[in-house]
Amino acid sequence: MNLALLADVAAGGLLLGGLYALIAVGLNLQYGLMRVLNVAHGEFLMLGGYLTYLLHVGLGMDPLLSLVVSAPVIFAAGVGVHALVYRRLLRQERTREELEANSLLISFGLLFILQNGALLIFSADIRGYQYLDRPLRMLGTVFPANRVVAFVTAAVVTALLFVFLRRTLTGAAVRALMQDPVGARLIGVRVARVHALCFGLGAGLAAVSGSLLSMLFELTPFVGLPYTITALVVIILGGLGSVGGSLLGGLILGVVEALGVYFTAPDLRMVISYAVLALVLVLRPYGLFNTLAHRPGQSERA
Amino acid sequence: MGTRMGRRSFLRIAGGTAAASMLPRRAGAQGPIRIGFTLSATGPYAVGAGITQRPNYDLWLEQVNAKGGLAVAGGGRRPIQFVDHDDRSEIETIVRLYEKMITDDKVDLVLPPWGTAANFAVAPIANKHGYPMIGPTVGSLKLKELNLPYFYAILAQPDAMMLSLANFLKDAKRQQKVNKVAVIYVNDLFGIEHHGALMPVLKEGDFEVVDVKSYPLGVKDLSDVLKGIKAKGAEILIGLSYPPDTILATTQAKAVDFNPAIFYTAVGTAFPFFRDRFKGGAEGVMGVGAWNPKVPFPGAKAYFDAHVAKHKKEPDRWASAFAYATLQILEESIGKVGLDRAKLKAHIDATEFTTVVGPVKFARGVNTATPGMVGQWQKGEFEVVWPPERATAKAAVPKPKWE
Repeated sequence: MNLALLADVAAGGLLLGGLYALIAVGLNLQYGLMRVLNVAHGEFLMLGGYLTYLLHVGLGMDPLLSLVVSAPVIFAAGVGVHALVYRRLLRQERTREELEANSLLISFGLLFILQNGALLIFSADIRGYQYLDRPLRMLGTVFPANRVVAFVTAAVVTALLFVFLRRTLTGAAVRALMQDPVGARLIGVRVARVHALCFGLGAGLAAVSGSLLSMLFELTPFVGLPYTITALVVIILGGLGSVGGSLLGGLILGVVEALGVYFTAPDLRMVISYAVLALVLVLRPYGLFNTLAHRPGQSERA
Repeated sequence: MGTRMGRRSFLRIAGGTAAASMLPRRAGAQGPIRIGFTLSATGPYAVGAGITQRPNYDLWLEQVNAKGGLAVAGGGRRPIQFVDHDDRSEIETIVRLYEKMITDDKVDLVLPPWGTAANFAVAPIANKHGYPMIGPTVGSLKLKELNLPYFYAILAQPDAMMLSLANFLKDAKRQQKVNKVAVIYVNDLFGIEHHGALMPVLKEGDFEVVDVKSYPLGVKDLSDVLKGIKAKGAEILIGLSYPPDTILATTQAKAVDFNPAIFYTAVGTAFPFFRDRFKGGAEGVMGVGAWNPKVPFPGAKAYFDAHVAKHKKEPDRWASAFAYATLQILEESIGKVGLDRAKLKAHIDATEFTTVVGPVKFARGVNTATPGMVGQWQKGEFEVVWPPERATAKAAVPKPKWE
């Protein structure tokens, strides 16, 4: 057993886990707040990736710099989608189950529209570019430089999001809505506006993830869905609506996948993720980092 | 509600009868020759289909129709019309669509879909209905075992291909002292069959196999696997891969600084996209193949130029030319014996064809005139480096460092 290699593989998993976390945080922001399960989350990621690709290959813009374009553009698109379809749905909300079911249907439609739209524009050809795909020597081993850059960027963006949620008034409104929708309404939180903001933020974070992923992997119009599934695993792992949980869940999943694949085969990557998910659901049904006390509408058990 | 349903079903029956009554007339009245096929426009097979098959089908259609149509023995020229669908890379969709095109649309001929697994799935259907089908992107020994007389495979099959690779490696072993091999393969019929054919010949060549790993179609990350292989000191990497994972493995090998003396990947390596994507990094990368416009066969250069002129992109350096060759074979056979499918089959069985990939002769459905070959990117061209009698350049081993 080569311990150095093992640590190396685990660190590699951690780097990818940072991106998983960023993707999941975006999805969780939407689900935790609105109970809108956006299956098209990965499609926003795909769009972010293509935007970066176009800006880099077409205009020669640095992929990292392209984040300042891709994030606001997809944020605006997210707000637009919210205004077009979700606002009405949220207003008509009768029960949570009904909202979840309807939003799921809508986002499936969105998934097909965005995916096939991208297919029409970009075709199914694989697209990619080379960016910092050279080895970076650190801690006595090598990491792909682009992966380190992507991880650091993801960490910075996640930290900024935390600061926003913890330190600003709007952030407080978001948290209030997550914890107690009725109470938040009573103290004057403008629900529709916060919803639009969070849907846009979720899409924007997906776009950032997509831009970063385009530095590492090739793009096709179909890259999104697997990441949506990974993000779903992560938010269930970390707890629905828990941003911190998503962060840790993402990192854990990254490491577990990397080690699992190393010991078995890449064929089993999905099996490993689902096994972790199943285990967590059996042992801690509300996620690793979610306490029952934080769940509105749930009676506390002793 | 009731009346509307009634009217609809009436229309359907009436329409169906009208269409059916037209069928014999159309055949007599020399309409276009209808050729059915599916190609993946979406899903994991879309990349290969869009590079290797679609452009050649379209090029042939344009060339033939520009000549006034396909010359049919005893029937003058008739234009070609394609009946084609996106199969979404789903095997069950592919099977359903071919059944439909043959039994329902009653197309005159069918062309194959893209990829080993897809061809494997439709070969029995084509055979059952007596439609000759020449697969340009299929490598499967199991298909040979199924004994389907109407199905033909034009590429060198896994046994020939892997034997050729092993012979090349043995030569490299003698000259360069490389011995440690790692194998990764995609868990799709293509990877499984080539892996099955490769392992015995590696053993026979007395190579030290340090690692063997499979990965799923659509894999996202191979960097951990490659790190492990690097740690085991592999001097030869053999990737029995499909286009997206070929790109992935190359990108990530470069990023984890794994630079074996021989870096061989399979489908996709010969794509011009690969060269354009990696630029200097492609130099020395080897792959399954191979074909390039320098091969000394009639029409090879003209085909290359026509492809570039029509599609504004170069054909890939392996199966594209073979896909075009299958159409040349079909065209020549129809010119000789007409559209009778049994006669077509007999002609294909009995003839040695001259094509852009050289002579092609089928023996029990397998092209025995084309040997397995190894290609290598050298200064922007995918050179044939093995076997020596087909080589357009000498192999460069060890490969240079990743740029």
